[in-house]
Parts: sequence; C-alpha cells; structure tokens
Amino acid sequence: MTITGTTTGTTEPGVEIRPPAEIRYAAELATLDAWDTERGHERPPGWRLSPRAVRAFIIGSPELGVTRKFYGDDPLVDRAVVSLMGRQGLMLVGEPGTAKSMLSELLSAAVSGSSTLTVQGTAGTTEDHVRYSWNYALLVSEGPSERSLVPSPVCTGMREGQVVRFEEITRCAPEIQDTLVSILSEKQLMVPELGPDARVAARPGFTVIATANLKDRGVHEMSAALKRRFSFETVAPVRDRAFEIELVQRQLEAELGPAFGWGGDRPEVPLDVLEVLVTVFQDLRTGSTREGAPVKRPETVMSTAEAVNVAVAASLEARYLGDGTVTAAEVARQIAGVALKGEEEDARRLRHYVDNVVRERARADARWKAFFTAAEPLWR
Amino acid sequence: MAVRGGAARGVDAVWERAPERLRASADAVRRLRAERGIHFAPVRHHSPACAVAVRTAIEELRPAVVLIEGPEEFTRLIPDLLHEATRPPVAVLSLGGPGAASSTRDGARARTRHDDTGDRDGGEGAGFYPLASFSPEWVALRAGHDVGAELVFIDRSFGERSVEERAASAGDGGSGVPDSTRAPDGVDAPGGVGAPDGVGRSGTAPPDPFARTLMSERYLAHSEAVAALARRLGCRDHDEVWDQLFEARASAELTDWRTVFDDVFAWSALARLDYEEGVLAGEGSLDREARMAARITETVARLAEGDVDGGVGGSADDIRPVLVVTGAFHTLALVEALIGAPEGAPIRDRQPEGGYGPVAQGEAWLVRNDHERLDGLRGYGAGMPSPGYYERLHAAHLRELGSTPSSDEDGPVGARALVTEVLVDIARGAAERGHAVSLPQVSSAAESAVRLAELRERAFPCRTDLLDAVRSCYVQDDGGVGGPGEPERPLGLAVAEVFGGRSLGDVPPGSASPPLVRDVRERVRAVRLAIDDSVPRTARLDARRTASHRAKRQVLALLDFVGAGFGQLVSGPDHVAGRGLGLITEEWQYCWTPLVEARLVEMVHLGATLDAVAVARLHAAEARLAGTAASTASVAVAARLVAQTLVIGMGAHLPRIVALLRSTLDTDRDLDSVVSGARQLLGLWQARVELGAEEQAGELLDLVSQALATAAYLVSDLGKVRAEDEDAAVGTLVGLRALLRDAAAAGGTSAAGDATAAGNASAVSGAWADGEARGVPGPERDEDGVGTAARAAVVRELARLRDEDGTAPAVAGALLALGFTDGEVSDDVLITRVRGALAAGADPATAVRFLGGVMRAAPDLILHTPEMFDAVDDALRVLDGDAFLAVLPDLRRAFTWLRPTETHRLAKRVAERTGARVEQVDVRVALSEDDLAKGLALDHELAAVLRRDGLAHWAAGAGAVTTRGEA
Repeated sequence: MTITGTTTGTTEPGVEIRPPAEIRYAAELATLDAWDTERGHERPPGWRLSPRAVRAFIIGSPELGVTRKFYGDDPLVDRAVVSLMGRQGLMLVGEPGTAKSMLSELLSAAVSGSSTLTVQGTAGTTEDHVRYSWNYALLVSEGPSERSLVPSPVCTGMREGQVVRFEEITRCAPEIQDTLVSILSEKQLMVPELGPDARVAARPGFTVIATANLKDRGVHEMSAALKRRFSFETVAPVRDRAFEIELVQRQLEAELGPAFGWGGDRPEVPLDVLEVLVTVFQDLRTGSTREGAPVKRPETVMSTAEAVNVAVAASLEARYLGDGTVTAAEVARQIAGVALKGEEEDARRLRHYVDNVVRERARADARWKAFFTAAEPLWR
Repeated sequence: MAVRGGAARGVDAVWERAPERLRASADAVRRLRAERGIHFAPVRHHSPACAVAVRTAIEELRPAVVLIEGPEEFTRLIPDLLHEATRPPVAVLSLGGPGAASSTRDGARARTRHDDTGDRDGGEGAGFYPLASFSPEWVALRAGHDVGAELVFIDRSFGERSVEERAASAGDGGSGVPDSTRAPDGVDAPGGVGAPDGVGRSGTAPPDPFARTLMSERYLAHSEAVAALARRLGCRDHDEVWDQLFEARASAELTDWRTVFDDVFAWSALARLDYEEGVLAGEGSLDREARMAARITETVARLAEGDVDGGVGGSADDIRPVLVVTGAFHTLALVEALIGAPEGAPIRDRQPEGGYGPVAQGEAWLVRNDHERLDGLRGYGAGMPSPGYYERLHAAHLRELGSTPSSDEDGPVGARALVTEVLVDIARGAAERGHAVSLPQVSSAAESAVRLAELRERAFPCRTDLLDAVRSCYVQDDGGVGGPGEPERPLGLAVAEVFGGRSLGDVPPGSASPPLVRDVRERVRAVRLAIDDSVPRTARLDARRTASHRAKRQVLALLDFVGAGFGQLVSGPDHVAGRGLGLITEEWQYCWTPLVEARLVEMVHLGATLDAVAVARLHAAEARLAGTAASTASVAVAARLVAQTLVIGMGAHLPRIVALLRSTLDTDRDLDSVVSGARQLLGLWQARVELGAEEQAGELLDLVSQALATAAYLVSDLGKVRAEDEDAAVGTLVGLRALLRDAAAAGGTSAAGDATAAGNASAVSGAWADGEARGVPGPERDEDGVGTAARAAVVRELARLRDEDGTAPAVAGALLALGFTDGEVSDDVLITRVRGALAAGADPATAVRFLGGVMRAAPDLILHTPEMFDAVDDALRVLDGDAFLAVLPDLRRAFTWLRPTETHRLAKRVAERTGARVEQVDVRVALSEDDLAKGLALDHELAAVLRRDGLAHWAAGAGAVTTRGEA
C-alpha cells in the first residue's frame, strides 16, 4: 500500500508545507560539512558533522553564513551535543511550545543528516511502533522473513546508525516507553521470529532524542530505568516578546496558510492584537507584568503552543462567526476556552488578572479595552 | 614582549591587533627587566592560574624583594601573615585613619543620612583585603619568604585615601554594583582599594542599592565589549571568558610564567585603554599607581646602593631582581611611569618632589575569613566565583607540579584528575541531602565534562564544563539544579557546597580584632549613652520629636538586633512586634557589661563595624525568609523584617527585603497574613518621621498597594471558611476594613485634608468611585490614598462576597454590617438580610453565627438601628428552648463586642421591650459559662417539672425574663 504523496528525503522544497530541516537547511549543512573537512575536525563515528559544526548549525555562525536557529541558551546546546556523543539518549523536557521538537529536529538533521526517523508518541502508540511489525500479507504467504518485517524508525535508526526522534514520549504508556530501555542499554533489538540469533545491532551514530512533558495533564510517568538511560535537558520557555510574536505568527501561517493580503483566505491577525495575546501569555506565564506588577500564575501551562491555539481559534471565530477581523475581543473569548482547562482556581486567577491588570490597561488603550469588555463577563 | 603561542585561543589575536601603545609598553617591560631588574607579575586577584605562575616565577627568579599591591601599612603585619598558625582564607582589615570621613558602603551611608548625630570620628570606611590559599598575593608572600626575599606592600595607605576613593572602592567591593569600577575581566579595578580584593569593604559585601554611577557609561561600554567577546568565544559571561583564556591552562603551561604574565598583561592592558585619565584620577587609581611606581623605584635604588659586593654594574646579571605583584589593571600604568613614556606623565606628575617618605602607618588587623566572603557570585566584587572550586584547582595544580605543602598531599593530581573528585563530591553531597546519584551517572558526567571541554576547546574541564556536566547527568527531571532565584534543591545545595567552599581560615592566637568593639563603643558614646561603668541605666526617649533621641533609639535597636545584649525596650512603641504603636515615649534599659564586649568579639567574623554585623544578620534573616517554602511564606513575617530593617536604620537595605516581600505577596495564600502585613507596613509609613524612613515612604506605600491587590485576590477565600475558622475570618475582615480606611487616608500630598476626608466611612467607596470616574491609570498613590485601584478591587471583591450565596454566615454578617456602616448597603437591604438570616425556620446555629459576624464587625448597629434590634429580638423570641440553649454560648460571645456602656443601653432597650427592670437584665455576675449553662439547664428542667405537674404558670413570668433577657 502506498500513501499518495508520501515524501522521502528527496522532495523539492516548496512542495511540502514544511520540509524537514535537512532539506530546508541543506545549503548550510553542506557548508558545515566542507568546513569540517577543511579544518580536519574529528567526526564521532556515525556522525555527518563534527560536534563543533553541529553546534554552529544550531546557534549560528556569522562567519560561515549559518543562521541562528535556536535562541537563548547556548550552554544547553553544548550539553545536548555532548550528550548525543555519550551512551545515553537525550531527553528534552519542558513546557509545550518551548521549541523542544525544533531542537531535536535540528540536532538529528545535523548529526545524521536526517530528522525523519521519528516516533510520534501518543496514548495509542504500541510496541510495534517502537520495535517492528509485520507485513501480514507477506507474513501469511512467506512466514517471518526479512522481507515481511516492517521496521520501526527505531529499528531503521539502529541499522543505519542514525539519530531517532521520539516525540512526546510521556504520552505513551509506561510499558511502551520501557521498550526503549533494553534497546538503549544493549544497543540491539532481538527479532526472535526470524530465529534465535536474529537481531538488529545498532551501528555507531544511533541514539535517541526524546521530547517529553513531565508536568502536563494526561502524561504518563516515566520509569526510573528509562530515566537512567537519558540525559535530561530542560528547555526554558521563550522570554523574548518579539521572538514569541514571531513564533506565533509563523505557526499561525503553518496551520492556516497565508493571510488575506498574502494570497490566502485566513483573516489577518494584526500585530497589535498579537501583541495583546503574547503579552497576556507572558504576564500569566511569568507571574508578573512587564511593568513589574505581580500576577497570579495559573496552573494551566501558558505556553507558546497554547498562544498559537488561541490565535488559530480567534482567527476561525473571526472568519466564520465574526466580520473577518481578528480583534482583542476574539482573543479574550478564546483564551477563556482554549487556555482554561476547567480549573476553578485558574478561572479565579484569570479573573483577578482581568480585573486588575487588564482593567488598568483598558483605560489607556483601545485594544485592551476591547479585551476587557469581552473578557469581563466571562469570568463572573 | 613577544607572546609565545599562548595556549588559549583569543589572547594571541588580541595581541596581534594591539594598539601601538601596547606594543611600546611590551618593549618597555623587556627593558625594565633587563636594565633595572624589575619583573612584573600582573595577576587577577584570586586566580589559581596566576598563583601558580607567581610561585614558579619566584622560585625561578629568586628575587631579592617581592613588592605586592596592598596598602603599605600592611607591611607591619607580614610576620603575622607568615606565622605558621595563619591559615587562609584570612583577611587584613583596614580602618581609615582619624582624618577619614565615614563612607562605609552599606551601613554608614544609610546612617549618615538618617542619623542626625552621625558625625562620629574615625572607625569608618573599613577596607577588607582577603587572602585565600589560591590568591597570587598570598602565594607571593609565602613563596617570597621561602626564597628569603624581602616582602613589602607598596600601595597607597588606606588612611590616605579620600572619601571619594573609598566610596569608589566600596562600590567595587560590592557585587550588586555594576562593574562600574571594574575592569571587564575583574582584573582589579582602578578603584579597588588596591587591595588584591579591590576591597570589599568590611564584612560581607551584599549587593547595595546605592550603586555608584561615576562611570555608568563606561560600564555599559564594558559590558558591551565583554559580551561581544563572550559571544565570540561562546562564553556566557566574563568569568567564563577568563576561565577559557587562563584557568583552562594545564599545570605545566602555567609554570611558563612569562607567557602567562604576558597574556594577562595583554588582556588587561586593553581594558585599561578604555579608561580615561579623568576617571582614573577621580577614583584615585593614578595616585595609587604613582605611589607604587615611586616605591618600586626606591626599592630598586636601595638594592643598587646596598649591593656593596656586586657594585652597580650595567650588566643585567649583577642586578638583583625585584618582582612586582599587582593587579594586572595597573601594570600598564606602572610600566609607562617607570620607563618614562609620555603616557606615564600623569602618574609621574603626581609624585611629590622629595618622594613619599617613610611608610604610612595605619590601623590594620588580621582576621579570619571564609569562602563565603570570597565568592564573586555571592557578592564580593573582585572575587572569582566559586572559591571552593578554585581552591581545589590550585591544590591540584600544585600536586601535579610537586610543590605541595606536606599537609595537603592527598587529592587529585592535576586539573584533569580534579574532575572526578569534584563530581564525586557533588554526588555525595546531593546523596546526603536525599538526591541519589548513581555511579554510572557520575562516570557519564565525567565523560560529558571532558567532551564539553573538548567542544569548547579547553585543555581540561573547567568550572562551567563541570557545572554543565552536573546539569546534564545528575538531573533527571525538568526541575533544574536549583540555585539563586530558584527553589533550593538537594543538588543545588551540594553544588553550592563544593563550588562555594567551606574553608574557614585561622589567624595566630593573640591577634584579636578590636575594630568592631571599638566601633560599637564609639557609636554608643556618640549618641551619649553612658558606657563608662556597668551600672544599668534607663533612657526615656521621644523619638518622634527629638532627633538625638531618634539616634539613641536607633543605636539601641541596632545593638538589640545584632544580639549584643546591651539594652532592651521596656515600654513604648515596638514597631517590629506591632505593640504600643500609639505611645509616644519609649523606655530603654541598657548597661555596658563585659558580656556585651564578649558578645561583640564573637561577632567579629561577621564584620568590622556594627553596621556590617547588622547587615550580615539582616542577610541571614533574609536568607531564612527566602528559604522558607513558598507554601509557608508569610507576608506578615516579611513585613516584620521590613519593620526591623527600618527600626535599626538600615533603610538602604530595604530594596532587597522589599523584593522578597513582593515575591512573598505573590505566594502567600493567607489573607490574614497579607492584611496584617499590610497594616504593619502602613503603620511604618505613618511612623516614617520617627523612624527616619521618609525616603522609604514611597516604597512602603507601593507595597501596601500591592498587598491590597493581593488581598483583593484572596478575599473570596473568606467566604469558604469552615465554621471553626469563622471567627478568625471575621477578625481578618475587620482588619482589612481598617486597612482600607487607613490606606485611603495615607499617601496623598495633602495628607491632612485627606485624613479628615477619609475619617468618614464613605471614603472607601468614594475612592473607588473616584478612581473609576477619573480614569487614573496609575495603580499607586493618588491624591486620595494608597493603591486606589487595588482598594477598589478589594471593595469590589467584598461586595461580590457579600452578595454571594453560600458565604460563611459569620462572614456574610460581618460584610453586611461593614457594608452598612460604610454606606454601601441600604437600611432596607440590611434589615431584609438580617431578618432573612434570622427568620423562623432558619438553622439557629447558622443564624447565630451570622449575628455573631454582624456584632463583631459593627457592635453598635443593634443600638442605632431599631429595625435591627427588632429583627434580632423577634428571631430570639421564636427560638424554642432547646435551640436557644444550644446557641447560647455563641450568642453570649456575639454580644461581648459591646462596650459596657453599650451593653447597659442595650439592656435598657431590652427591659423596655420586655417590661422588666434594667437591673434585672444588665447583671454582671462573676460566673463561668459552665455555671451559667448548668443553671439554665437546671432552670429548664425545673420548668419542665413544673409543667409536668400542671404548675406551668408558676414559671411563666420570671423565666421569660431570664431567658430572653440574656440578649
């Protein structure tokens, strides 16, 4: 069975909505490869680039014309690169929307030249997704054979000596997560169906970058055994307002396509409305306004990802229910629905925020007034 | 001075692009060495790399004299410093001479501002010259002594330095101070008292809000340059840049001392070029360099004359070398002054015609020190971060080089070997605190540290590589390590222990440290408290009106606070405990006993002056407060600390505590604590004149306003209290209302007018209306009180709570009563609600709790509002006997809020209504509640018996009065 338009690593940019990092940044990777060769940097076994080049790929290098792709925490990048050289996997933890997945994509693209060996963890992820499964038609006709075995990304990564990404690992049931335990420690995967000695041995370069959220609702615990096989790195939320606005804008475009003015049919979210949105999120996330007034911080994770959700929902509301313009009022209404997950205490915190901070701002600023007018009745 | 392929990246490039002036000076360095035997050892204070280089230089050069940057009066202390019982970390404590005006950084500044009698003589402006085992100066002393060199301190005497200079140096010592007086690399500052420390003034060096701004632009320029360099090298700050360039050299490389010193010189000379002459002159750097240059010249001349055997030949071989150990920042200037370069003119011009004459004298003491006071991260300006780590690093270097003191032979050999030791110790420290770290984790951390060092192109894992490795491998969740600004975690504490170090130095017996005792004596005497005998005395003070009394009170409170056991408050307003605030005069008993002196001596390690000790204590209190878990942090406790700070006249330190309080306000979930904290703060504001806290007045009001906002948030909790907590909740409510009233009266420019306006109860709601109408955005002070917006929010929340169903009955009652008193609830509403709450069919217990709330909040309501009286009367009449008995205790308590005269009036009213005589109603009997309950039960039983026997009419008259009359 083939999926229409299944992409392999050879697709031209522009055909896909979002080509993987190794295609988007192919030129930069080539530059770094040449740089490594020229300088004679040592590449760890199985790596496409040297650790130094991997770091330069992510935090940028003006001299080489490599753009910075990850902001804010360079030592974190150093540690991540070094962790990948070690025996353990790399576990990126943090709130949603902190660019964990982006970082893992960039790292695997730079280290292995491929970021597509990815297991997307959900509650429905089974052991087959982590180990291997079978092409049942072939299995029935030929019995277990190399041909009828369908390898998982992990299995392929081991064979090829590449970095495997495991997204949202804590969304999988603990027993599924634990499938990785022996793979990571023994670096081999037994395939008893093919015979007592059949196994997939990991080649150098194989490792796992997992991303996880430890505090969100609905995530599973991680066993101590699995934790021991990972180096943990915490990715902190975005602090820079302009950067966050940019992130939201970019994500919005990825989800809903370009806005009206740019040939799309999505109502444009004006910059000042985005500013209101991001400011609200930053205020509530940090527990203090930019002016330094304290704010009660809700339990709900006020992540950039949630801000994007609010922006998307506000856009949809404006398009289908409103007059096609996104205002702070839509944002206010959507924050109620999207950001609040039915926690009574959170509603109270938001009410406090609206009642005090927003009320004050509304006096001087029309956008905030719109926000306030829309939000006030929601929190009674 | 050619740079011989320094191992560290960066330095070579720096030198390549060096301006002409630097190239010329490199040549001058060579000539001074060859022609006059002057060898320079430019160092960064407390740098193990420099210390190793200094040691090798001395062992190889075997100089006749080692000249060390440090006030020249310290030379007298050299025997003590060399004493075998002296064990670093120690410090030389220097006090300004008699001529010096006070400018200790923390306390004195604040004090002179607030203390009208603050013109005490001397004892101020203490300088602090710390020496650790890895300080190049310490090594210079010890190694110089070993080779038989003469040891001399050559810097300008501390006593000669001007107030400005000391101020600058003080600024240099503190951490919070922007590096305005620091070279970017911390190589010592132009303003550093020259001490290898850049002199953190006496005692600890807490961040100080009063940062100098002498060179604020410079500071920005610097941080820009350093930040740019750090970015290029991939370092996070200037300390890591230093590590990268110098500390990352292997032991063997460090013994190539010429290269090390050339590189340090190049690095710091560039920083020096950023400074203009005017700035350096203003700070006293030039004066100090003039003195040092002159002393160097004198020494060289003296050597040449005294050298009878060799004669004064021209050949370099005959010259006995002199080693000059100074902060690298000064080296360029010294070189230019000595060689006669035109750039050296400003320094040469400062030297007096006839030389400086004999060595200046001044008071200085050798005292114990500890690593905490050395830690650059914890606030000591010229300190390097992580003294504990650098001490280990230095020891590891020495072991590798085989020049270890015999006592210290166990331990890792070489910096690479140190990695495991540090990681294991952190793991152990974390395990002791409950964070287990497994062996594989330790080994993967070691591996990770080595790889990080490789990635960052360092010879071995340095401080930040180790810290990153710990972060990578020891943390197994998303909580981080924990540290400043984060909740303390076992791992963070373990890291702090290993990197911060625990060493406590020792000084030879007999070298007592009298400065603190002397300082206290002077301060006590300055405010005219008798200390010449040990007879207990009493001082009656009126701090509100008399400035000198205020000063006395402050000194007494300060000594009380540090625990000197000198005096105690017998009566009068106690702003900390919040007692007796209405009183005008206060009475202190005090007595200068030997015990007081003994206690002071015990505190010597905390600081050289009373203020320094107080600051240290304050910090400890802050740390305790900051250390309490967020769930138990209490605004009331933090507010007490604010009060304490103001009472002892340490207003200058308020900002930190205020910040602490602000964060507490954010987490405290207890409305009562918030309200009482806010009331205390408001009380402090009201007492600002007598506390000498006018400057902090605005801050206090801001806090009150923030507390009000927090209170608004928490108000709704009151509605949900359990029955047994209702009393407390109502008490809180009453306090909150008083707070609102006081806040409305506070703050304005026309305070008097506002106060009267606010006196009437409607001011609270009035302010709210005003705030809305005028659309004033400012959440802070307005003409009509503090935190208008926040108050409005509280009022809004209270109204919401009042009208909500399900609010705890006593709280609802109290809210209703207060609302009525404040004119927010109309008569009709009040009566309807009261009747509703007490109506027949209502649960008597709930009804009485409601009534209790009303009575507590506004006891006189029942007297002044006839309808209310009727409502209560009716409600009580319909209660049947059992129910009445059940609620009686609560009912009694509800009515105790009336004053005796009011009780009397109420009794009259009841008597009129029931037709009984007042005396029958308003009876005061000394009975316990039990007695009463028993009596009533007996009465009731009796009545029952009578009824049973058909004699009910016997009990009818009197019984009714007794029972109902209780109301």
